[in-house]
Amino acid sequence: MNRRTLAALAVVLGIALIAIAIVYWVEPAKSLPSFFPGRQAGSNHHHTKHGIASFLVGLAAFAFAWFNTGPKKTRAAA
Amino acid sequence: MPISYFHAAILGLLQGVSELFPVSSLGHTVIIPKLLGWNIHQNAPYFLTFLVALHLATALVLLAFFWRDWVRIVKGIGRSLRDREIAPDDADAKLGWLLVVGTIPAGILGLTLQDKLRSLFASPQYASIFLALNALVLFGAELLRRRAPVTAEDDDERIARTVGWRDTTLVGAAQALALIPGFSRSGASMGGGLLVGLSHKDAARFAFLLATPIIIAAAVLKLPDLAGSQGNGVRGPAAVGAACSAVTAFLAVRFLMRYFENNTLLPFAIYCAAAGTAAAIYFAVS
Repeated sequence: MNRRTLAALAVVLGIALIAIAIVYWVEPAKSLPSFFPGRQAGSNHHHTKHGIASFLVGLAAFAFAWFNTGPKKTRAAA
Repeated sequence: MPISYFHAAILGLLQGVSELFPVSSLGHTVIIPKLLGWNIHQNAPYFLTFLVALHLATALVLLAFFWRDWVRIVKGIGRSLRDREIAPDDADAKLGWLLVVGTIPAGILGLTLQDKLRSLFASPQYASIFLALNALVLFGAELLRRRAPVTAEDDDERIARTVGWRDTTLVGAAQALALIPGFSRSGASMGGGLLVGLSHKDAARFAFLLATPIIIAAAVLKLPDLAGSQGNGVRGPAAVGAACSAVTAFLAVRFLMRYFENNTLLPFAIYCAAAGTAAAIYFAVS
């Protein structure tokens, strides 16, 4: 898989994870989609920490994409 | 008052040392009050809030102790983002990203498992057994460690050259072991550092750098509790405990950075085995 494809996948993953983070922050546990960890019927608790974890991994995915789409200065010099 | 100033001071002094020594601060915070017969409800929200203040003090001391390193590391990360690459000769940038990557698994595991593991295992009986098992982690790391090559490079350069991306992920994840009272965060990450080929001194340095953002983030997340109703009656003792914790944390990190220049984890392993076993027997028969 080339660097561009990897970067594109990382961007998609980053967007998805940040969207998931927002869902965790906005929706109470009872309203989370059924496939989300932490869903609990009848609970008004907001899974803030799950949201933070998702957001940070999303940022890491963007950082990965950022480096993978940068100019290949060192490789070119080598 | 839920915690007396005397108890707060003792717990603070203990926390500062045991957070950085590879002997489990959480384990000691659970075991010692029970051994001394203190009437502290360790699963009560006020006690967890109190602990946050102690952790924050320890983390701020770590941040201050390695302040110059952090400035270089943050500048290195900035340089790499600007250049969109981690230059092979930029040890600060590489170390910075190693810390970021190592913090991710620890952060995710901590955020998602902390409450569950603590509520399951936060009893003195469990903590003393896990403290004894922590000895096996330390012994194992010493037994299996790779010999670190002796080089004349700068500390951070040596760490950046030795630790790979997969290594830092594993060392970071190993920190999650400390979510179980009795296992030590610094012990797990120092042990991981030894396994990937760092010297004792470099493993300790990497462990302290890796622990700082996690401890600060965990404390900051819980700080609103200290400011809110859960902090009622606890803020004064928390301030005293935090001050005591800061003093002993400073002395501990200064001591350990010198200690690990020539010494190993074995004395800590022996201590954990002896103290954990003795406490487990005491709780079983009492």
